Amino acid sequence: MQTLSEASIAYALQSEPCFEAALDHAERFTASYRKHMHATATEREAAALAVQFPALLLPPAAGDRFVGRIRYGLVGLSPEPVGLGYYCVSDALRTGAERYGRLSKRATTLLRFWDRITTSQKVRATFPPSVAKLLPSDRWTEDSAAAFPLYRLAGTVLDYQRLIHRGLPGLEAETANTRFAYVVPLLRSSIERYVADGVDDEIRETLQAIGQRPPTGLREAIQLFWLYALHAGTWNYGRLDVVLGPYLQRDLDTQRLTEAQALDLIGSLWRLMHAYSNQYNNRVIIGGRGRHHEAAADRFALLAIEASRRVGLNQPQLSLRWYQGQNPLLWERAIDAIGEGHTFPILYNDDVNVPAVAKAFSVPLKLAAQYTPFGCGEYVLGPWSVGSPNGVLNLVKALEIALHGGIDPVSGVRVLDLPDPATFTSFDQLWDAYTQVVDVFMTALAQQAVHTYRVIAAEAPFGFIGLLTGDCLESDRHLLSGGVRHLGATVETYGNTNTADSLYAVRQLVFEQRVLSLPELVASLDDNFTTDRNVQRRCLEVAKYGNDDAAVDAMAQRVHTQVCTSARRQAEAVSLDSCLVVIINNWANTVLGRSTAASPDGRRAGEPLANGNNPAPGAARSGVSAFLNSLVKLDPSLHAGAVQNMKFSKQWFGRMRPKFSALLQAYFAAGGTQAMVTVVSKRDLEAALIEPEKWSNLLVRVGGFSIRFVDLPPAAQRELIARTLH
Amino acid sequence: MTGTVFDIQRAALHDGPGIRTTVFLNGCPLRCAWCHNPEAFTTSPPTGYSGKTYGRVMSVEQIMSVVEADRGYYRASGGGLTVSGGEPTVQYAFCVALLTAAKRAGIHTCLDTSGHLPTDALLQLAHLVDLFHFDVKLPSGNEHTRWTGVDGRLIYRNLIALRDRGCRIRLRCPIVPGVNDTPEHRRHLDQLFATGGFESVEHLPYHSDAAGKYRDLGLPPPQFPPAVV
Repeated sequence: MQTLSEASIAYALQSEPCFEAALDHAERFTASYRKHMHATATEREAAALAVQFPALLLPPAAGDRFVGRIRYGLVGLSPEPVGLGYYCVSDALRTGAERYGRLSKRATTLLRFWDRITTSQKVRATFPPSVAKLLPSDRWTEDSAAAFPLYRLAGTVLDYQRLIHRGLPGLEAETANTRFAYVVPLLRSSIERYVADGVDDEIRETLQAIGQRPPTGLREAIQLFWLYALHAGTWNYGRLDVVLGPYLQRDLDTQRLTEAQALDLIGSLWRLMHAYSNQYNNRVIIGGRGRHHEAAADRFALLAIEASRRVGLNQPQLSLRWYQGQNPLLWERAIDAIGEGHTFPILYNDDVNVPAVAKAFSVPLKLAAQYTPFGCGEYVLGPWSVGSPNGVLNLVKALEIALHGGIDPVSGVRVLDLPDPATFTSFDQLWDAYTQVVDVFMTALAQQAVHTYRVIAAEAPFGFIGLLTGDCLESDRHLLSGGVRHLGATVETYGNTNTADSLYAVRQLVFEQRVLSLPELVASLDDNFTTDRNVQRRCLEVAKYGNDDAAVDAMAQRVHTQVCTSARRQAEAVSLDSCLVVIINNWANTVLGRSTAASPDGRRAGEPLANGNNPAPGAARSGVSAFLNSLVKLDPSLHAGAVQNMKFSKQWFGRMRPKFSALLQAYFAAGGTQAMVTVVSKRDLEAALIEPEKWSNLLVRVGGFSIRFVDLPPAAQRELIARTLH
Repeated sequence: MTGTVFDIQRAALHDGPGIRTTVFLNGCPLRCAWCHNPEAFTTSPPTGYSGKTYGRVMSVEQIMSVVEADRGYYRASGGGLTVSGGEPTVQYAFCVALLTAAKRAGIHTCLDTSGHLPTDALLQLAHLVDLFHFDVKLPSGNEHTRWTGVDGRLIYRNLIALRDRGCRIRLRCPIVPGVNDTPEHRRHLDQLFATGGFESVEHLPYHSDAAGKYRDLGLPPPQFPPAVV
């Protein structure tokens, strides 16, 4: 398993001729950049993309029904897939230079040119000193800090309906004399290159058709959508049932396609998505409120679920938005697929989410009904908003800093001036210190998000994205230069649950039962519970979130509300339409856990943090209903997405399937926002550890993404096994 | 009203219709050789070598607050409360109070019983029970005494009395290797079921996962089929 970025780099480094070809491309790209350095951002981008396309595109693989495979260069332009904006993969160039001595001079010249002028570096250079001091490191996977910046423009979801309705000729006419005029010609050049290079008859006819007129059927619609997505560098696709459903319906009704043929086309698209990005993204949304032509969309949605069952890959991340009264077949087929262990579709509850999104984003219900999960589970407002998660905040580390009077005990760095916790005589004093740390970092992250957007706007306007984002074309403004209707920031928070459990344990043990003093507890944390195991035992014995326990769940609500509100307050301060927390997960719970000291919930230093806002691994011990009851206590109207992973044993299926379905329906009725379900047996997971080669099809949901269990690193495998199996 | 409870299992799948909360009460008049809840032999909770005490005193209100928290799951699935044990009617007044509270709250009730209690007492609580899970282990007589400590005649009498009262009954019958895992016993169950008035007859396979609890309690873990001496 490799990300697009990893695969592109690995290819470039695999042999001297490959590295040489990569350098050729990088030099062409660099020459173009140098030539347009002082031109407008639009001109620079148009020229840069003309170097990249069609050069980066790969021929179809055997069995592909569409063209559209890609490999990125070591230097280039992308919103996110390889790097932010103008990127240079320095490590790969250095490796290549060492490995292939003949080429080292050329690689070094490139490295020297791009040093300090990549977009990411320019973003960091704009941080004011106060922000730079609080966000000293970009190495969030290695260093210890409470917060880190992320450099990307993530989570854009485009208006593919507009693309397909207008077709290339229509879009060309609309963009003439606008700053987006370079988009369609670039697409045309890629199409012409594919035709010229030779593709099978069906693909050629499809390509020629979409060059001349708007798509008339599913095949053409998928081809145009997919080529555009690759050129835009986006990898979350939004409501494809709305976009493609009418074309599918027409083809089926006129017998242009049989259902089997349509399924084959969708399956081929799924494989292309998997080849494009096989880890976090590739969200395809089906179902939900606010869809035109719902019956046609449902037909696509049902085939989409079937395609995911048949293809059996961890991509795309098919997500079903559900509401009471929706076509029940969608629910039934979804439960079937989940019960078979596909982890898809991920389920979203529109009856809760639409009003929650309206409140969180402060938008009307009609716009909220277009909420679109992307990546690991963050929301945007369909093609009308940007809310790139560009900051990471580790709440356990924030508490750790509060417990050490403002010092990060892992790095030894003084982050803030805070009172000595030994002087605290009440829990409220600790709470105040903790929230002060959270607020300070949240302020820095919101400012950093705005600086990031400003630099992106000046450097790389991403016209492909803007053209299909409301209301850029109407205003003839680029995405981040006033074009997008709703511009928000999002901050990923981690360790929320550990923090709540920890604060509750401190309150119980130190301030209520008084079995320990705060300095004694902190000393024990600093020594990773080594000297006195009784302290850890006591910490572990305190009630934990995830068991429907009113008191500790109230602490989880308090932590949740505080951090969400802390973010929301920033929107006005930095003049964004929203600033919202997202409580998602990729590897971050294990990665950040490594640099986080022991915590008062009984977690030892280096162990993983809880996943999303789920209970800590193994902490939910009171049955799945108690676990779900705890989950629904966290107000969903304060954030832009939170992931709810749940691991069920196979006993819930077969004869018990109706009970599983009822359980999820009841959870939704009680206020559950979403469910990411892994169905496994503990025995299977343990067997897969021993004989991975026999378990290559075992899919699990880690955080906001699915993966083959055998592809997980050992720490993540252990954490997944430790999670409560219901 | 308080009683001793050795476990509450939420979202139980196998203890009746729908998703249920199963409340396990301490105390049992039988000593089935294969019992998987040996911690429930007596009403006072035993403490194991591990230091764990198997059971605690709870009030009806405390239990009901847990039971009612899952009302949405019962509604969606047709589930409710199951009272089990031990033999739940050993704490008769407490059991009745719990069932009464559930009925008042509009929650479906299921009683998991061995049927070994005075017939009058059983019939008096029948109106509080929407569904009986009734164990039939062996034909009454010497074998029944040998394996359970009681001869089973009262149990059969109660089963018929409940049926004749029109109560909903599901027969739940443990099949234990070396004890009743025989064609004759299955035939006996089929014949019993054929007499009518029972919703279903279910054969429950024996499992040995209680060995740890036996050892903790200083009791020899049962073994089935029994070791050949």
